[in-house]
Amino acid sequence: MREGCVVEVGFSEPVARYLCPVTVAAVADRGRQGWVHRSTIDDINMNNRILLKRNINELLARSAEAREVYLPLEGPGGDVQFLPLQEPKELDNLNLNYDQLIIPPKNIGFPQLESLFEFKDGEINPTVPVPSRHILFGLRACDLKGILFVDDFFRKNFEDIYYRHRTEGRLTVVVGCTSPSPNCFCTSTSTGPFIEDGFDLQLVDLGERYLVEVGSENGERFIGEFEELFLDASKDEIHHSGEVKVTAAKAVTLKVDFKEAIRRLTEDDVPREIYEEIAERCIYCGGCLYVCPTCTCFNLFDDMKEGEGARFRNWDGCVFEGYTREASGYNPRRDKCSRAARRYEHKLKYDYQETGISGCVGCGRCLTSCPVNIGISNFIEQLTGLDSKQ
Amino acid sequence: MKGVVCLVGKFEGERSVSRILTTCIYCGCGCGLYLDADQGRIIGSYPSGNHPVSRGALCVKGWNSYEFVNKLDRLTKPLIRRNGRLEESGWEEALDLVSRRLLEIGDRTGPDSLAFLSSAKTTNEENYLMMKLARAVFRANNIDHCARLCHASTVVGLKAAFGSGAMTNSIEEFEDADCFLVTGSDTTAQHPLIGSRIINAVRDRSAALIVADPRNIELVKYADIHLRQKNGTDVAWINGMMNVIIEEGLHASRYIEERTEGFAKLREVVKDYTPGYVEVITGIPAYLLVASARIYARSEKAMIIYSMGITQHVTGVDNVKSLANLAMLTGHVGFRSTGVNPLRGQNNVQGACDMGALPKVFTGYQSVGDKEVREKFEAVWGVKDLPAVPGLTVTEIFDRARKGDVRGLYIIGENPALSDPDSNRVRVALQQLDFLVVQDIFLSETAEYADVVLPAAGFAEKDGTFTNTERRVQRIRKAIDPPGEARADWEIISGVAERCGYKGMRYSSPSEIMDEIAELTPIYGGMRYDRLEPFGLQWPCPSRDHPGTPYLHKGTFARGKGQFMPAVYIAPDELPDQEYSFLLSTGRVYWHWHTGTMTRRTSTLDREVPEAYVELHPRDAERMQVIGGEEVRVSSRRGNIEIRVKITEKVKEGSVFIPFHFKEAAANILTNPAVDPTAKIPEYKVCAVKIEKMIKCGKVV
Repeated sequence: MREGCVVEVGFSEPVARYLCPVTVAAVADRGRQGWVHRSTIDDINMNNRILLKRNINELLARSAEAREVYLPLEGPGGDVQFLPLQEPKELDNLNLNYDQLIIPPKNIGFPQLESLFEFKDGEINPTVPVPSRHILFGLRACDLKGILFVDDFFRKNFEDIYYRHRTEGRLTVVVGCTSPSPNCFCTSTSTGPFIEDGFDLQLVDLGERYLVEVGSENGERFIGEFEELFLDASKDEIHHSGEVKVTAAKAVTLKVDFKEAIRRLTEDDVPREIYEEIAERCIYCGGCLYVCPTCTCFNLFDDMKEGEGARFRNWDGCVFEGYTREASGYNPRRDKCSRAARRYEHKLKYDYQETGISGCVGCGRCLTSCPVNIGISNFIEQLTGLDSKQ
Repeated sequence: MKGVVCLVGKFEGERSVSRILTTCIYCGCGCGLYLDADQGRIIGSYPSGNHPVSRGALCVKGWNSYEFVNKLDRLTKPLIRRNGRLEESGWEEALDLVSRRLLEIGDRTGPDSLAFLSSAKTTNEENYLMMKLARAVFRANNIDHCARLCHASTVVGLKAAFGSGAMTNSIEEFEDADCFLVTGSDTTAQHPLIGSRIINAVRDRSAALIVADPRNIELVKYADIHLRQKNGTDVAWINGMMNVIIEEGLHASRYIEERTEGFAKLREVVKDYTPGYVEVITGIPAYLLVASARIYARSEKAMIIYSMGITQHVTGVDNVKSLANLAMLTGHVGFRSTGVNPLRGQNNVQGACDMGALPKVFTGYQSVGDKEVREKFEAVWGVKDLPAVPGLTVTEIFDRARKGDVRGLYIIGENPALSDPDSNRVRVALQQLDFLVVQDIFLSETAEYADVVLPAAGFAEKDGTFTNTERRVQRIRKAIDPPGEARADWEIISGVAERCGYKGMRYSSPSEIMDEIAELTPIYGGMRYDRLEPFGLQWPCPSRDHPGTPYLHKGTFARGKGQFMPAVYIAPDELPDQEYSFLLSTGRVYWHWHTGTMTRRTSTLDREVPEAYVELHPRDAERMQVIGGEEVRVSSRRGNIEIRVKITEKVKEGSVFIPFHFKEAAANILTNPAVDPTAKIPEYKVCAVKIEKMIKCGKVV
């Protein structure tokens, strides 16, 4: 079979079972293991510390002895990538002032392509990754929001063992963003430039030093491991960090009326012309959904030769005609316009209705990666700039 | 190694993910992309944010370029035909057989009975070696590749007019051109990252766009004017535009005087092409032609963008020369964001031409007829008496093979059984050969005719360089090992040369090959791997300290003065008649690439367009009483296929279009092998076909 099934990824467990029988079976075998990925400030005793910038490299190098440490590393041509540290020398390329990663770190838990199981002579062997301990160091607030959103998708209503194994040993260290890209609008979506909960540690840049906010027991334990590298924070420093956050928020210059956009979407109050214009201009590269920190759609396909092979899943998305085409050939979203609408409805309506959180974290990547400058911020500007029909 | 971040997992996960910067395998845009590899498998492809072409974006093919690499049906072992069947063998045996048989044929029937098809999908270094193998080892100039079938007319036409057959400008210069004349290029489908720049220019800063194309392509939506010429009447409308420009005094007199020659002759020839006369030939309303001429001539930074719709005609060279005339007439070449831009199709078709995988030239378009050039190559290659007579082209090679004159053929990474015109005749030619070697990553339709099949490494499995359409020489990098026993093409070619007793092809790495290319090739003189970081250099780059050249013909043309070469309109070779009443043109779709070897093995892409179709105008469909999705028989004088109908106004009434990606309904069974007399490019864009219903009253006929 060259082509996998055309899937529409929903939210419910029955759908998930249908999609990934092996996943669910494997989960059932092992039993559901409790895993709290979110801890809030209320849960723990907030304890601010100080990390001197000159100690960062030592902290990271030592952390890397027992874990994989993913970091923003600047590569050839100035592209910053979120990659695991291999040797301390690479710390020379550490860039914590990057404006944005091209790809959000969702691919650490949900790679673009992954094998689910192998088969041979009727026997099936799941290819579940071995769990790993790792630190995501230098995340932006918006990207952590994205990760938490994807966590929910893969773990809340059903548990995807592949995702769980790739993510459960995770420690998140946010470095609050003071260098937003021109396409960022996180202050409009309340997802940055600093995050209020859901992190293990969050760093605030105070010049020569970082104020370290502890967001979870996990974070507290990590600091405990390297106690000698952390100092206590003074009141002045805590006060200063508040100012830094205010300044950082001001640096995000792109603003959109996000609440109004959600209202208009949930009330189905979107002029069709907006979707028509997007559909016409779109060149169907799929970039917006591939780079979206909260897009989780995937397709399944088999690669097989002489009765032996493997089943894979890979990133997929709603802008493609084949994505919603049914086996009969009928397609409920055949025309480009309704597919364009689907993407915005998903982010600003369905996600919101389903979870109370919008699927847009304000990172602006859909604009950055769009060859024809579409982007959700432009959509919202256009929508909220137009009169409501009511 | 620069450009490579290696990440070997040290912990229990045994994860070993690496991400390398490389260049996309699909079109000539040459986007910078990263490949993620995990345990010998490519698991993702992402754009580079700072690469001058991709800038954080890719098209759908680039985003999905990770999938085909690891398919289980990749070739992993050499195959040798025994008792009519291809059977696995070892490398020693296969390479011995290849070299022995090719030497035997060369000895018995002369070097000209051997031919070599190089590949626009492989690296510069590999094309260079294939060219060197043909010339230095087998003394044959019969080396060519698919550029013959796409831009041969450009290489000939622009070289004659300007002195260089390449795109004059850079891709980022599209961002501040203020007029685009796009003809015969479905840019958003075939060069998405260039097409998108045109869309942005039109929508966001009101640049002018004139589209001259018989089909209603995507860009028509954005065009100020759509000139919908009859297929194959390009010389006429281009001459018509020049007629208007001269009549209205919009030509650049000073530029013409200072920088060009041959204007008087041009004026003479285009005098007859009045808008009224042109309307009769082309079907373009006179007023639209006049308006287009004015917009183009009066724009400050005007670009001509063209592709196969111009080149794939029996008048391909005339078409190209006419566009060059138009640009020179208005002074629209030799400046930033202003010029003539043939968009090269394959990722490395520019490079394969630059490397001399062509029958008339060595690297850098240095003529095989030039004694001094030959002596230079003889000295470096350590051989004597390199052949001075130009060799055969792709189209001629298959003609001669059918006649029995060409007996041995070595093909790398091409699939002529599907991609060449009148493919039934190509298949006959392949069968006639005494010995056929096919080197590829999958068992292609062509490989099924081979005596020996050699398994090659793909773009993610080797180092090298590609040259994109804007002449940017840039690195590709090895992310994973090739599957099984597959080897990089450069290693295989070197192995063949070695077994033929030639000692001049021992290299430790592609970088060493590039050093040799630089030594022999003035336009590549400054190309060294250390200088290609991070995003390459644009030729001409003659010396180690030269920064590369973003646009050509600044101040003076490469040949000195620009040469006007007027052409008169000549009709296509085969036009519709009573029996074959439809005009067929062929091409590609956005989701697929050529013969589908890669894209039909990519789930997202193949799902989008899983099968072939023929585009038919609604009025024709109504007249013939066929419905969308119905299977019909499309025949030309050369063969027939069965194919589903797609009803669309994208084609004109009386015209049909078939994408050539699908082996199940191969468009090239129908196409006409008639060629341009100088460039020898076939007329893929025009032939006559008939369409027959297969179901009448519920019966299959």
